[in-house]
Amino acid sequence: MTRLGELERSVMNVLWDADAPLSVRDVQDALDDRELAYTTVMTVLDRLGAKDMVRRERDGRAYRYEAARSRAEATSEALNAALDESGDRASALVHFARTVDPAEAAALREALAALEADSPTTG
Amino acid sequence: MTPVLLGLIGLALALPVPALLARARWPLRAPAAGIVLWQSLALAAILAMSGAGLSTALWLVSVDDPGPWRVALHVVVLAVGVMVWARFWWATWHVWRDTQARRRRNRELVDLLGEPHGLAPAVRILAEQTPVAYCLPKRGDNRVVISRGTVEALGETELEAVLAHERAHVRARHDLVLEGFGVLRLAFPRVLRTDAPLRQSQVMVELLADDAARREHGGPAVARALVTLADSATPAGALGAGGGSTALARMNRLREPTPHPRWPALLSLTISAVVLVAPTVLLAIPWMVHAWQTLDL
Repeated sequence: MTRLGELERSVMNVLWDADAPLSVRDVQDALDDRELAYTTVMTVLDRLGAKDMVRRERDGRAYRYEAARSRAEATSEALNAALDESGDRASALVHFARTVDPAEAAALREALAALEADSPTTG
Repeated sequence: MTPVLLGLIGLALALPVPALLARARWPLRAPAAGIVLWQSLALAAILAMSGAGLSTALWLVSVDDPGPWRVALHVVVLAVGVMVWARFWWATWHVWRDTQARRRRNRELVDLLGEPHGLAPAVRILAEQTPVAYCLPKRGDNRVVISRGTVEALGETELEAVLAHERAHVRARHDLVLEGFGVLRLAFPRVLRTDAPLRQSQVMVELLADDAARREHGGPAVARALVTLADSATPAGALGAGGGSTALARMNRLREPTPHPRWPALLSLTISAVVLVAPTVLLAIPWMVHAWQTLDL
C-alpha cells in the first residue's frame, strides 16, 4: 500500500472511532505518533472528501470533519457491489463461493466426504 | 440467398445452439477449451449477422428489379446486421466504463477498510463475519479481498487454497474473459439475447481457478474451502443469491482424477473451428466472388 493510501486509512479510522466531528488539529493529534504536518492531514482529508468518504462542516473559522458513512455502511457498500449478481454487471467481479440452498449444501457435503475418502489425508 | 442463409446461421448461433450447448455437460470437462467454444459461437453469430447485413446492402444496390417482398426481407436482415454491430461497439464502451468505475470504487473502499494481510501485499481483510472472498483485478495492482469470517471459518491450508484460487483469476485475467461475454450479450437485441455464454463461462473460469488452486494445495483443501464457504449462513437480505449449480460443478471437477481426459477439449476446439470457418468458406467466399463478378461487369 502506498504511504498516502496508508495515511488515508489511518485518518478514516480516527474519524470512525470519534464520537463527534473532528478538526484537522484533532486528527493530527490523534495520529501524533506519526508527526504529520498540518497540511498533510488537510490534504488527506480533502482526498477522502473527493472519495465521498468524509463530510465537512463549518465551525467558526475552521472546518470539522466526520465520516460520511459508518464503517459498517462502507463495508456493506463494498460487499454488495462485489456480490451484485444482477445481469449485465455479472462480469464485474468474481468471488469464491455463493450461498447454496440446503439440498445443494447436503449434496456438497456428501461429495466432499466421498472426495476425502478417495484421497487419504495429505495434510 | 446468401444474406438470408447467413442471417439464419446467425440466428441459430444466437439462440438455439447456445441453449443446446448450455445443457451439455461435456464442455465443462475442459473449461479452457469450453471458453474458446463459447467465444467462437458468439463471434460466429456476430460475423454471420453482420455478413448478412453487408451482403444485403450489396444485393440491394446491385439488383435491377427486386420485388417488394424481397426488398422488405432484405431491409430487415440489413437492419439486424447494422444493429448488432452498432450495439457491439456501444456495449463495449458501456461495459468497460461501468466495470472500471465499479472496480475503482470498490478498491477505494477496500483500501480504506481492509487490513493488509501479513506477507501477501495484495490481500485485504474486511471486518465482516459473512465469509467472502473475491478479487479486484488490475494490472500490477490487484486486490484479493477476504472477510474476517472467511479467515475464521477456514483452516490455514484452505485459506491458502482460496487465495490461490483468487490469484489464478487475477493472473489469467478471467475478468476480461467475462467482460467480453458481457459485451457480446449486450450486443444482441433483447429478443436474440441469451445468458448462456456468460453463465457458462462464469462456471468455467471458476473451474480453471480451482484447477490452479488444486495444483498448489491439493483437491481436498479446495473442496473443503468450497463447502465451508458455500455452506455458511448469510445475513438477512444482501448476499443470498443462489449459485449452487456452480458449486456442484466445481465439486464434480475436484473429484475427477488429474490429468483430465483430452477428448472434451478436442471436441470443443473442433466445433469452434467449424462454426468460425464454415460460414466463411461455404457462403461468404462464393458470395464475394459472385459480387465481384456482378459489380465488375
